[in-house]
Amino acid sequence: MIQSPDLPLWAAIIVGIFVLLGASITLIGALGLIRLNSFYERVHPPTLGPTLGTICILVASITCFSTLQSRPIVHELLIGLFVTMTTPVTLMLLARAAVYRDRKEGSPDVPQE
Amino acid sequence: MSDARLLILVLALPFLGSILAAFLPTRARNAASFMAGLIGLIASALLLSFYSTLATGQTVRHVAPWLPSLGLDFTLRLSGFTWLFALLVLGIGTLVVLYARYYMSEEDPVPRFFSFLLAFMGSMLGVVLSGNLIQIVFFWEMTSLFSFLLIGYWHHNQSARDGARIALIVTCLGGVCLLVGMLLLGHIAGSYDLDVVLGRGDIVRAHALYLPMLILILIGAFTKSAQFPFQFWLPHAMSAPTPVSAYLHSATMVKAGIFLLILLWPVLAGTQIWYLIVVTIGLATLLVGAWSAIFQHDLKGLLAYSTISHLGLITLLLGLGSPLGLVAAIFHTVNHATFKASLFMAAGIIDHETGTRDLRKLSGLMKFMPITATLAMVAAAAMAGVPLLNGFLSKEMFLAEALESQSGTLLDWALPILATLASMFSVLYSIRFIHQTFFGPPPVDLPHTPHEAPHWMRLPIEILVLACLVVGIIPTLTIGPLLQIAVRSVLGDRTPDYSLAIWHGFNMPLLMSVIALVGGVLLYRRFGGRLNAMTNSPFIGRLKGRRTFETVLAALIDGASALHRMVSTKRLQVQLRILIVVTLAAGSIGFLTYGYSVGNGPTIMLDPIFAVLWILGGASAIGAAVQAKFHRLAALAMVGVAGLSTCISFIWLSAPDLGLTQLLVESITLVLMLLGLRWLPQRLPEFWPGGRTPFNVRLRRGGDILIAVAAGLGAAAIAYAMMTRPEPEGISRFFLEQAYHGGGGTNVVNVILVDFRSFDTLGEITVLAIVALTVFSLLRRFRPAAESVELPVQQKVQNAFDAGREDREHGDTAAHYLLVPRVIMEWMFPIILTCALYFLIRGHDLPGGGFAGGVTASIAILLLYMASGTRSVEARLNIQPVRWISVGLMFAVLTGMAAWLAGYPLLSTYFSYLELPLIGDMPVASALLFDIGVFSVVVGTTALILIALAHQSIRTPRAPKPEKAPDKIPDMEGDT
Repeated sequence: MIQSPDLPLWAAIIVGIFVLLGASITLIGALGLIRLNSFYERVHPPTLGPTLGTICILVASITCFSTLQSRPIVHELLIGLFVTMTTPVTLMLLARAAVYRDRKEGSPDVPQE
Repeated sequence: MSDARLLILVLALPFLGSILAAFLPTRARNAASFMAGLIGLIASALLLSFYSTLATGQTVRHVAPWLPSLGLDFTLRLSGFTWLFALLVLGIGTLVVLYARYYMSEEDPVPRFFSFLLAFMGSMLGVVLSGNLIQIVFFWEMTSLFSFLLIGYWHHNQSARDGARIALIVTCLGGVCLLVGMLLLGHIAGSYDLDVVLGRGDIVRAHALYLPMLILILIGAFTKSAQFPFQFWLPHAMSAPTPVSAYLHSATMVKAGIFLLILLWPVLAGTQIWYLIVVTIGLATLLVGAWSAIFQHDLKGLLAYSTISHLGLITLLLGLGSPLGLVAAIFHTVNHATFKASLFMAAGIIDHETGTRDLRKLSGLMKFMPITATLAMVAAAAMAGVPLLNGFLSKEMFLAEALESQSGTLLDWALPILATLASMFSVLYSIRFIHQTFFGPPPVDLPHTPHEAPHWMRLPIEILVLACLVVGIIPTLTIGPLLQIAVRSVLGDRTPDYSLAIWHGFNMPLLMSVIALVGGVLLYRRFGGRLNAMTNSPFIGRLKGRRTFETVLAALIDGASALHRMVSTKRLQVQLRILIVVTLAAGSIGFLTYGYSVGNGPTIMLDPIFAVLWILGGASAIGAAVQAKFHRLAALAMVGVAGLSTCISFIWLSAPDLGLTQLLVESITLVLMLLGLRWLPQRLPEFWPGGRTPFNVRLRRGGDILIAVAAGLGAAAIAYAMMTRPEPEGISRFFLEQAYHGGGGTNVVNVILVDFRSFDTLGEITVLAIVALTVFSLLRRFRPAAESVELPVQQKVQNAFDAGREDREHGDTAAHYLLVPRVIMEWMFPIILTCALYFLIRGHDLPGGGFAGGVTASIAILLLYMASGTRSVEARLNIQPVRWISVGLMFAVLTGMAAWLAGYPLLSTYFSYLELPLIGDMPVASALLFDIGVFSVVVGTTALILIALAHQSIRTPRAPKPEKAPDKIPDMEGDT
């Protein structure tokens, strides 16, 4: 693993907290995907990763590299923007497909047209 | 020697003209013929300027290195003989152009005709002017090709197509033999340079491979020059427009074989076997041709068989192996070209003005076209060998040589008799040609009322007939010096004394000539009337050249398809199994022979995270294989996981470039495959009755698993053995060291792709373009399986819903549901494109490059198509993938060729720094231009395949209304 001895202690603590936080949030989302029952419930937990989880990791990244290079590094904002914008597309398409399938099967869980 | 470079111009002019003519408008008859004629004149004038040099006995050479490492140079060589022949090609070519201007109809696409004709002229000049054996074969094949195109010029005509096909197959068969023969000759002589080969005749004739080489070269020459038994293609080639017959099939192309034999005469001739083969074939051709010509009812057919017989005569002369025979051969080649071309043109005029070429219908045309009749009579007299015409002189020489023949075989005494006989036949058919056409009662029942042809159309004939007369009356002043140069250039010190005098006193040849003339006249008086009633030539008519040819061809094709049925299969599984088993066997031989050992290189501890990644990837790959048969969507998803883990591995092992490319390629292939899923037939619910798989099927599947596992383990074992050994000293160190200094980039992978190994890349993008076009054309004709033609259930439901409501248009539901995703995806389009450009531009120094950029751009296009639907995208944005591909290929090639301007080899690159205001120093490498070409090809390729798939969806045959924007999303769900 790549070590970073140049990082001052305060920055290392911040980076560590945010990385772990982001990873844990994403993990919780993943667990939720496994544990919840219906498709419509399951759709939600994975969104934790692309939203909150990503933000935490990005904050860690900004802190880490801005400190290391002694200048503000904010490329990560673009990553955040694009991830936030594009994830809902997948989500909507998946949910839409599920609604179609359930309607066709006459499932009582979904409203009919 | 600035003089020699003019030869390039002579050779290039007809080809340039050909390309120009191809771009003229379809009806530009005057412009095309004017240009063609001008090119003929200029090239002739250039050629004439060499006369003074050649008169001193020198040879003009221009050598440009081409593949010096293989001893191959592009060599142009002009000797006295080739000069004479080239002049013949250009001179008669120019006259034919003038003639064709009036012969060709207004309705025909005439520029195409002149384009082919000029290209043929160039190819023929190429054969004549080449100073390298391989180069001769190359141009030789080109003459066959353009002859094919010209014979088939009226391609709506069945007989033209057949004739063209037969001519092509026969002459190309000869071309292949000639190539092998030339390779052998070059091998024997130790060089492909013609002048070197010509100097090593003794070595060649004494070599063990002389006989096979000779036979192969002779087959080449004989097929081209329509010698027995290959003569049958020439009469069928008469379906060509008459100018083509006059030019290719009497004056020039059919003489190519003769030309070659004369050219190589100093090397090949002089052996017993040469004498036997060439004389026999020549004699057979002479007699068969002359005999058949008598019984033809078609004017052009008669002339064609007569051409065959004259070609046989020249071959016979060459076969005799005496220097005087060679003189006669060259002389007769020129003479035959003049009188036969004029006769063909006269036949064309008759055909043009009367509407028929049938000798049985023609009669008494003398009154209607007196000038043409006179011209044709003089030319026919030259063909018959009447004194005071050029044909007489060379025929005398021929008869004299026939008497001189000293080989100690039966041929010695047979030759003079048979030669006289053939001359008699020649007189007979000449008289028949003239008498039937121009004399007798006025014609009845002709399609047109005959009248004289326009003056300009007759001019070429007049010039040629004048040449016949002048050469026949004052030979020493006209053809004498030219013939002398030509003969000397071939024979050198062996040039014999010969006399071109008309009168040699009373001797045997004269007596034979008189016998032939008188005999021919008597025969015509005796039998002439009966000829019209005969439908077939006696004796020879039994030789069905064409039928034999078709039988052989059909047998070949049947044999090939039988073989194909026997050893081939349409099922991919079987082919794949064979491939893998063979590979496995080949690999096992190595293992079994040398054993297997693991290297002792340094090993590293396995990182647990990396291990988990690989277990995940491997499991997905296995899962994909298991699911592939039963659940394709799941299988594809798992393929995606396996791909992602590969991608992460690359990044893990510090190869960001590969990682990026892998990620992009993975995404786009996956999506393209998903789009294709819609068209795969659905899985049959119950294939085997009762759900019980038969034993043999299970056995086969088990065997397949074993094969697959064995092959996979074998590959893994090899990889492990390789990686545990120390890395051999390869070229990677060179690449790493030179990437910046030599290539101007810090991204070594990209520098390798676009600079060090850009020739490979050029090849690869070409292959990519070909693959895309193939996929496109396959998909264009693709008809889905019957069960997948129907719309997916979801689309049917939606359409029914739309149709049921009054306030809804067809396709509204899909558009409505996709609104938000669509807007977001459309927003992303410019952003992804920017990203693609960014990848492209920074590629030389950082991960990215033309390929990655191109794939990114295609992802943008793909998303747009998926979000908005095919119709609505194409209403707004016209992507022309084929243009992208062609522009890209052109960019890459032109960038590569630009290096030539600076005097460097193809694809050398240049780089420097460009100072831009605001941005600062920007590295600029010509490799970037090349990379732009790669980018463009990749975009075009992917877009082409995508569009082919997308259009598949919008042409559903049973749609009640025009389909709108089929959203791809249900497609992904469609695999149920």
